[in-house]
Amino acid sequence: MTTETPRSFALTIPSSLDQMDGVYSLVAEAVAACGIGEELAYWIELSLSESTINAIRHGNGLDPNKLVTVGIRCDGSQIELVVEDEGKGFDLADVPDPTNGDNLLKPSGRGILIIRSFMDSVSLDRRPSGGSRLTMIKKLSQPQP
Amino acid sequence: MSLTILTRRLDDVVILDLSGRVTIGEGSVQLRDHIRQLIAGGETKFLLNLADVDYLDSSGLGQLVSAFTTIRGQGGSLKLLNLTARLQDLLQITKLLTVFETFNSETEALKSFR
Repeated sequence: MTTETPRSFALTIPSSLDQMDGVYSLVAEAVAACGIGEELAYWIELSLSESTINAIRHGNGLDPNKLVTVGIRCDGSQIELVVEDEGKGFDLADVPDPTNGDNLLKPSGRGILIIRSFMDSVSLDRRPSGGSRLTMIKKLSQPQP
Repeated sequence: MSLTILTRRLDDVVILDLSGRVTIGEGSVQLRDHIRQLIAGGETKFLLNLADVDYLDSSGLGQLVSAFTTIRGQGGSLKLLNLTARLQDLLQITKLLTVFETFNSETEALKSFR
């Protein structure tokens, strides 16, 4: 079960896929500090990395001069993941369903589906300073493995 | 832990024992290049043993799909062996279980190529 004391972790990186090791390390740090079990940790890492990759690639167009900030917050009742980029954002409803016919054999486009299948809530909004923010919440209603 | 690929052969089937992480960047590219090299060498029957893959992201999934379509396009086949529960979930969520033939027994998998 996660610790009830609120804990926050954050990292800001240039928009390069080479930076993903830092995100994996941030997850490992948060998982250990929050007491998150192995199974939950796997899906948290996957959700955060998929959304960070989307922010680097699609939000910021792989422009290393643009930044991505990732955050993890746990408080015993939920785990909140936040990914901010400097892009124009997108409508979650417009993301093509990768399980539909012609999309099924495409090599990409499954990240949002994976995130939505695991997280309890996923929302995208505009940041007051520009860019977009994806917020993902996993409720912890029961003790986690 | 990065990706390790061990290559075995039984009859005309190439078995790749994967272990570690298949993620965007290194692991995914390593898998792509390894399979491309084998295809270029004339291999057509592939069995990927995923028992020791402890993390695979959507890029890794995409790599499996790309390899599958490339090999199928050349008249060959790519099948999956020993999916972990997490990989089973990922393939279920993405409906890729409807694409790949999967096996829990290497013997049964090898029989299916005959």
